[in-house]
Amino acid sequence: MRSLALMVLAGLLVSSTGEEARSLAARAAARPATVAVAIEGMKFAPATVTVKPGDTVVWTNKDIVAHTVTEKAGTFDSKIIPPGGTFKYVARKKGSFAYLCSLHQPMTGGVNVQ
Amino acid sequence: MKKTSLFAAVLFALSTPAFAQSPNDAQIASIVVTANQVDIDAGKLAATKAADPEVKKFANLMVADHTGVNKQAVALVTKLKVKPEDNDTSKSLKAGGDKNLADLKGLSGAAFDKAYIDHEVAYHQAVLDAVDKTLIPSASNAELKALLVKVRPAFVSHLEHAKHVQSTLK
Repeated sequence: MRSLALMVLAGLLVSSTGEEARSLAARAAARPATVAVAIEGMKFAPATVTVKPGDTVVWTNKDIVAHTVTEKAGTFDSKIIPPGGTFKYVARKKGSFAYLCSLHQPMTGGVNVQ
Repeated sequence: MKKTSLFAAVLFALSTPAFAQSPNDAQIASIVVTANQVDIDAGKLAATKAADPEVKKFANLMVADHTGVNKQAVALVTKLKVKPEDNDTSKSLKAGGDKNLADLKGLSGAAFDKAYIDHEVAYHQAVLDAVDKTLIPSASNAELKALLVKVRPAFVSHLEHAKHVQSTLK
């Protein structure tokens, strides 16, 4: 009787562990990614990144001068990023976003959220 | 014609006979710091005197960027224990900068904007030539050389920016 109870309990444990594993796997697949963009040599590299909603784009200023990451329609704007500084943007809205450095305007880039 | 002679004057400052032989690292440090300071001083004047908003914006950018470059240059030479050493090039850069400031102070409005931007175009071109032909090839310390290489794209960007502003001024 007691051993049967133990067996049932063990079965429950196994099944709940299986459930947990499956949901962990599902969550891992949907886990938001972080995509890095370097600001270096007066350029954004890579110039264009493609991400999913919920992903984070992190710009790191590796240049000797300050820059900005300013989306043309105002969706995001880092303001001044000093040398060595970073800017993070969590992509929520789908679409193609063109941005530039408001200080050095030939510097342009894009974020595609799809 | 005037632009050509201005360019020649700046170029002369950066290619004086003292560097028939290459400048050493202490001299390069002095040239870099002076070259930046000269542009910061002109930028500060233009930030207050410029009439055109794009000229004013450019002037503020020059102050910010060249101040940033100088901060890193000073940090590096301090770390390397290099004492910047005055030389003919740094002295004539300073003299040229002082003359430019004196000239600009006598101007206002559109004439000021044009003179400031014309000088910026010639100055950045001359500094870039010096960086490429003299300073990078002569730098013996690897970190000093790396700093010059790292600074270069900013100067290229400034030159393009200045030329663009120049093309919009009447």
